[in-house]
Amino acid sequence: MAKIAKVEVKRDICIGATPCVVAAPAAMELDAENKAVYKLKDGVRSSGPVDRAQLEDPSVDDDTLLIAAQSCPVKAIFLYDETGKQVYPEA
Amino acid sequence: MAATRYLIIGGGITGTTAADTIRKADPDGEITIISDEPYRLYSRIMISKTHFFLGKVPFEQIWLKKESWYPENNIRLIAGRTAAKLDATAKSVTLDDGTVLAYDKLLLALGICARRWGIPGADKRGVHYVRTVDDFRGIQEDMKGAKQAIVVGGGAIGFEMCEQFRLSGLETALSIREPHYWDPVLDETSGHIIEAALEKAGVKIYRGQYVKEATGGERLEGVTLEDGTRIPCQVAAVGIGGVCPHKWAADGGVKVSRGVVVNEYLETSVPDVWAAGDAAEYHDLIFDETVQFGSWSNAQQQGKLAGANMTGEKKPYKLVTFYAVSGLGINIAFVGNVAPVPGRQVVPRGSAEANAYGRVILKDNRVVGATLLNRTPEIGCLVKLIENKVDLSGRLKELGDPAVDLKSLL
Repeated sequence: MAKIAKVEVKRDICIGATPCVVAAPAAMELDAENKAVYKLKDGVRSSGPVDRAQLEDPSVDDDTLLIAAQSCPVKAIFLYDETGKQVYPEA
Repeated sequence: MAATRYLIIGGGITGTTAADTIRKADPDGEITIISDEPYRLYSRIMISKTHFFLGKVPFEQIWLKKESWYPENNIRLIAGRTAAKLDATAKSVTLDDGTVLAYDKLLLALGICARRWGIPGADKRGVHYVRTVDDFRGIQEDMKGAKQAIVVGGGAIGFEMCEQFRLSGLETALSIREPHYWDPVLDETSGHIIEAALEKAGVKIYRGQYVKEATGGERLEGVTLEDGTRIPCQVAAVGIGGVCPHKWAADGGVKVSRGVVVNEYLETSVPDVWAAGDAAEYHDLIFDETVQFGSWSNAQQQGKLAGANMTGEKKPYKLVTFYAVSGLGINIAFVGNVAPVPGRQVVPRGSAEANAYGRVILKDNRVVGATLLNRTPEIGCLVKLIENKVDLSGRLKELGDPAVDLKSLL
C-alpha cells in the first residue's frame, strides 16, 4: 500500500465505538464529544484531516494507522497518500 | 476428504482478522473460513446505528471486505454453512451438508447468537433479534406500515433500538425485567440517567416484569406483560443476551463453560484448537480472572492474536479493552472488567445532576473496570490505572472526586 501522508476521522460518521483507540492508543483517543481524534504534537487533538507527521508519537507506523482505520465498524477513518489519493477505505 | 492447513469456524471480525493475520505470516498455507451466514464480512455493529439504520448511508457500507478480497488473499470462504461435528483425534470438522474438512490448526471464532425469546408467540412475524444482516432486513421490512414497536431487554441493543424506532417515527415501548436499565452491570443512578433519556425521547418504559406472551395472528399485534398489561405493537426488537453456539465443539471434547474455555494463549483444552472473540472465555492475565467479553475491539484483537499463535507464535492475550455506545445525548462506555462480581469496591465519580456519572470498579484497591456515562475522555487514564495495577489504597477519595484529574493518580 502507498505510504500514509494524511489521516482523518469523519466526525459525522464516527460513533465513538472505540476500536481504533484500542488498536492505536498511541495515536488516537476519544474527545469530550465521544469522537475519535488524533493525538498531535503540543497536546493538540484533532480529527483532521491532518498531516501524519504531526502525530505526537513518531513511532506510530503506517501499519498501526491502517489497522486502526480498518478496525472502525462504521468506516469513519480515512487515510490518504502524498498525492492526496484516498488509500482507505478502498474506493 | 478435503484438507486445509487453517480452518476457521466463524466469518465475523474475529475469524476474518485471524485469516488476514495468518496470511501475512504464512503466504501459502490453505485457509478456509466457514460462516453460518451466506455473506462475507460485514459490520454487525452498524445494524443498530442511526446513520445506517435510517438509510443515511448506502446499504453497501455494511460490507467490510470486498468479495475479491478472499480470492486475492487465497482464502476460501464457505458461506451459509455451519460446523456440525468435531473429530479432534482425526483433526476434522464435518459441516451441516456432510462435507468433511481436515485441518492442521482450527480456530473457533463462533461468536454469540442472540438468545431466543422463550415465550408463546415469539415466532410471529414482526419479532426480531438484532444480530445479523437478515435481522436488519426483516426489521426494515416489518417496520413498513407499523405504528408501534416494542423493545425487549435493557442492554446495548435495547438502548440503540429504542432510539432507532423513535427516529423512525414509531411509538415505542420498552420492556425490561430488571428494576432499572442495565441492572446489574449498571447501578440505579446510571440506570435512571439512561431511562430519563429514553423517556425524554418518548419511550414508554415497563420495568420489573417479563413479557408473558406475544399476541396476534400470523403477524405480531401486541404483547402481554405478566401483570396483564397489553401493549399493541407490530414490530419487536428483542435484545436479551447471547448464547455461544459451541455444543458441537463440546461434543468433540473441547472444554466449554458459558463460552469456549481457553488459556491466555487462546488455546482450548484440545491440541491445535484455538478460540477467540465473543466465544472465548479466557484467563485474563491483568485481572487474574476468567472473563468473556463481547465487544468489537476484543473480537478483533483476539482474532489477530489467535491468527499469530496459529502460525507458530506463542503470545499471551494481555489487553484492556473498552467499548462505547452512544445515543439520545448519552455516551455510555465500559472499560475493562465491569462484571458485577461480589466483593468489588465501587467508587462513584460525578453525579446524575452533572449529567456525567461514572463508577470505578476496584478489587483490592486496584482498578479493574469502569462504567462511564458522559465521561468518555477518562477512558485513557482508566485503562492505564488497570494496566499498571496502580494501588489506590488511601486515594479512593480522590478517585471519587470528579474535580481531580485521573492523571494525578497514575
